[in-house]
Amino acid sequence: MYGWIWRHLPGNAWVKALISLVLALAIVFLLFQYVFPWAEPLLPFNDVTVDQGMRAVR
Amino acid sequence: MSVRWIVRTFSELCLTVGSLIVLFVVYVLFWTGVRADSAMDGELGKLAERWATGPVAAASPAPGGPSQDGTTSPGAGDPQDDGPPPQPAYRDGEPFAVMYIPRFGGDWAKPVLEGTATGTLQKGLGHYDGTARLGATGNFAVAGHRRTYGDPFKDFPRLRPGDAVVISDGTTWFTYRIDKRPYRTSPGDIGVIDPVPRASGYDGPGRYLTLTTCEPEWGHSHRLIAWAHLDATEPVAGGRPSALRS
Repeated sequence: MYGWIWRHLPGNAWVKALISLVLALAIVFLLFQYVFPWAEPLLPFNDVTVDQGMRAVR
Repeated sequence: MSVRWIVRTFSELCLTVGSLIVLFVVYVLFWTGVRADSAMDGELGKLAERWATGPVAAASPAPGGPSQDGTTSPGAGDPQDDGPPPQPAYRDGEPFAVMYIPRFGGDWAKPVLEGTATGTLQKGLGHYDGTARLGATGNFAVAGHRRTYGDPFKDFPRLRPGDAVVISDGTTWFTYRIDKRPYRTSPGDIGVIDPVPRASGYDGPGRYLTLTTCEPEWGHSHRLIAWAHLDATEPVAGGRPSALRS
């Protein structure tokens, strides 16, 4: 998979490395900005109230 | 499709999943805290700004107000005023007070926002809507994260009877005193935020405070509850209350 990406990036090794870095950072950003905030409430750390059950009804 | 290809793809997949998990842990343990701290600072700033500009609308109970019905019922530790006259309703998701708990550290100060929605609790402590107003007769109930999002209630189990919980709404310092060690209950036990919570040992109406957070620390099978009663009120103009002067 990574080899396939590497082969399909344009330019010489340095350019490829730079593009890879940018890609990796972009993915991390997307994860932190969108994916993790969505996934985190599914974990139990958010359940700090005693009326979660009622809240679902409202 | 050689064996080599399969092995390589599989290892790459494992690496990817592993990195994802590490990143997610970093996000939960660290990044939510960074975000929450800045969000809480933002909310505190909002409050400071609001309190600095308008001399908080209508807050202080009229000097000749209901503050002089002489002796108050013993035991409940009643303060003077009976709920300031009409105040604007708390707006959902907006901060309206700052809470100080010296037991959690001298610089522990968190904004209290209206509502207990997920997004609200990520920016501070959340006041259960429908429970009493700050300082009013009834139960002022507040929820907060024990872990993640700045860990505001990390030291919750260390609360002891007599500990002060001081809350300022911009005009008045409300000093509540914890009455019991934290009480463990089930998530559906909404009786703990009743005006007179059954399990609290309070036997009549009063001005109570309830704090709730999760238990165990990283789980959600139970809740930890702390109850306090209103012990004293002081005008903000008079400087920090004695409970905050150490």
